Amino acid sequence: MRLLDWIVLLGTMGFIVIYGVWKTRGSKDIEGYLKGDNSMKWWTIGLSIMATQASAITFLSTPGQAYEDGMRFVQFYFGLPIAMVIISITVIPIFYRLKVYTAYEYLESRFDLKTRSLAALLFLVQRGLAAGITIYAPAIILSTILGWNLTLTNLFIGVLVIIYTVSGGTKAVSVTQKQQMAVMMGGMLVAGFMVVHYLPESVSFGDAVAVAGKMGKMNVVDFSWDWETSWNDRYNFWSGMTGGLFLALSYFGTDQSQVARYLGGRSVGESRLGLLFNGLLKIPMQFIILFIGVMVFVFYQFNQPPLFFNEAAKNKVYATDFAPEMQALEAQHTTLFNQKQEAVHGLVAALRTDDETAIAAAQAEVQGITDASKVLRDDAKALIAKATPDAETRDTDYVFISFVMKYLPAGLVGLLLAVIFSAAMSSTASELNALASTTVVDIYKRSVKKDKDNFHYLRASRVFTAAWGTLAIIFATYASLLDNLIQAVNIIGSIFYGTILGIFLVAFYVKFIKGNAVFLGALLAEAVVLYCHFYTDIAFLWFNVIGCVAVVVFGAIIQLFMGEKNKVEKVSA
Amino acid sequence: MKDKHSDGQLSAASDKPPFFKSWKGMYWLVLGNLAFLIILFYIITRIYS
Repeated sequence: MRLLDWIVLLGTMGFIVIYGVWKTRGSKDIEGYLKGDNSMKWWTIGLSIMATQASAITFLSTPGQAYEDGMRFVQFYFGLPIAMVIISITVIPIFYRLKVYTAYEYLESRFDLKTRSLAALLFLVQRGLAAGITIYAPAIILSTILGWNLTLTNLFIGVLVIIYTVSGGTKAVSVTQKQQMAVMMGGMLVAGFMVVHYLPESVSFGDAVAVAGKMGKMNVVDFSWDWETSWNDRYNFWSGMTGGLFLALSYFGTDQSQVARYLGGRSVGESRLGLLFNGLLKIPMQFIILFIGVMVFVFYQFNQPPLFFNEAAKNKVYATDFAPEMQALEAQHTTLFNQKQEAVHGLVAALRTDDETAIAAAQAEVQGITDASKVLRDDAKALIAKATPDAETRDTDYVFISFVMKYLPAGLVGLLLAVIFSAAMSSTASELNALASTTVVDIYKRSVKKDKDNFHYLRASRVFTAAWGTLAIIFATYASLLDNLIQAVNIIGSIFYGTILGIFLVAFYVKFIKGNAVFLGALLAEAVVLYCHFYTDIAFLWFNVIGCVAVVVFGAIIQLFMGEKNKVEKVSA
Repeated sequence: MKDKHSDGQLSAASDKPPFFKSWKGMYWLVLGNLAFLIILFYIITRIYS
């Protein structure tokens, strides 16, 4: 990294942290600390919601996902706008009417304390783990690419977030997220412009998109359904509209890291508008990020990509006895790339002629070389695994950052690193704030220290924010690299969200089910989801549906059974 | 725990969506935008496949 990059990176991070602390100094009561004095306007809420969801993983993994798999990941978000409407209609008015601090508070008034505590604990477990991953995910990638110390990178992200989140609470989270969103979107748009700018002069933007299409990357929507295989397909229209809807309902309706964003609104209307703003812009935002990944893919059709994008892992092989084999694979990779470049230029020329036969022939030639390259990459991954058994052989998360580091000019590298740090910090801040408010409001104040004064709970909120932040840093430091970072977070979310959503769904809409029945139903549902995760091949998005439906069905059966039992007991008495 | 809302503020503020007479209009805007995006993405998929 050059001096200008360090200035841009540290200047951006320093400004955001200092601004956040200064702007929200002097929180004197728990209302201000946990709900931001209900002063947030809709655009602050909307940007805060988007910044909370957009973690560093979004900016590191998503372009790499598009590079490997095309645009179809965008379908994962198709259920989100519908969820925004449903939550605006049903959830927000109830939360405002009951004047709750957390989503789980509502469950006690509807059911009982144990159901509230169960939902709060499920949230604390899954969000506590996710907070560690939110810090760890960018830290491991940046430390690998830049040679930074992993522990120091974890500490850098974690400590910066702890400073302003402990100091200013919810308001500090929301005001800093406005700047962070501006950095994120500005940085990504600049990166998108640069990657298109770096395409050969003979290749227009239209040619680039056409080439991406012919290489299977413009697969935005897939309506097909096969009863045999589609259950395992994570990203098609149907899984997005059902599993994606349930996941979004759970995340935005019951996850305190999001609920806190709109509970801080000035009014029901401001909160609704903030959510609907997200419903309008989230899919276009994801489309743009994926499209940048597709353009990076096209860029690498004309510029030789690394054989393996995690070059640090690949270089370790050269220190072993397997170095000659890796060298041979790299030589074959260069030969194949030279052949491919000719073939891709041929495809561009064919596309301009509109001659279907010529296009099909050129496409087949490119596809043949692409398949051969894939085999070569698989061989390289196998060799890396053989030479360094601890190495991670997925390199999708390194695709975008490796492009940034190798090709972007001084200053922009710093800006793109600021994008990744901003994203990590914005998500982590919301998570720590939510973990602390749930711990204080749903557990500590409710069941541990019931009759303390306002100042005590304010101080407890600050202590728990710092404690959760410290735990997240420790978890991040000791976490091993998971299969794919973005999927790891979504899988953890899906294992717990369905059950939590089921509890809330019963609370809102199935009035005959009472506290004991929903509590037992939730425990059984969680067992079913865990069974599905460990012993079946069902795609994780379906866990949201399975968990949710299981709570409703088990809750209803148990309630009916308990009702019958009560009747029998009454008759006997 | 009390916050600074009163029920009067709540109902008055919740009845004022921008651009539309009622919140239904806002909801249909979001759902219509979703339908538009899906159709647009379908067209893109067909054109470039």
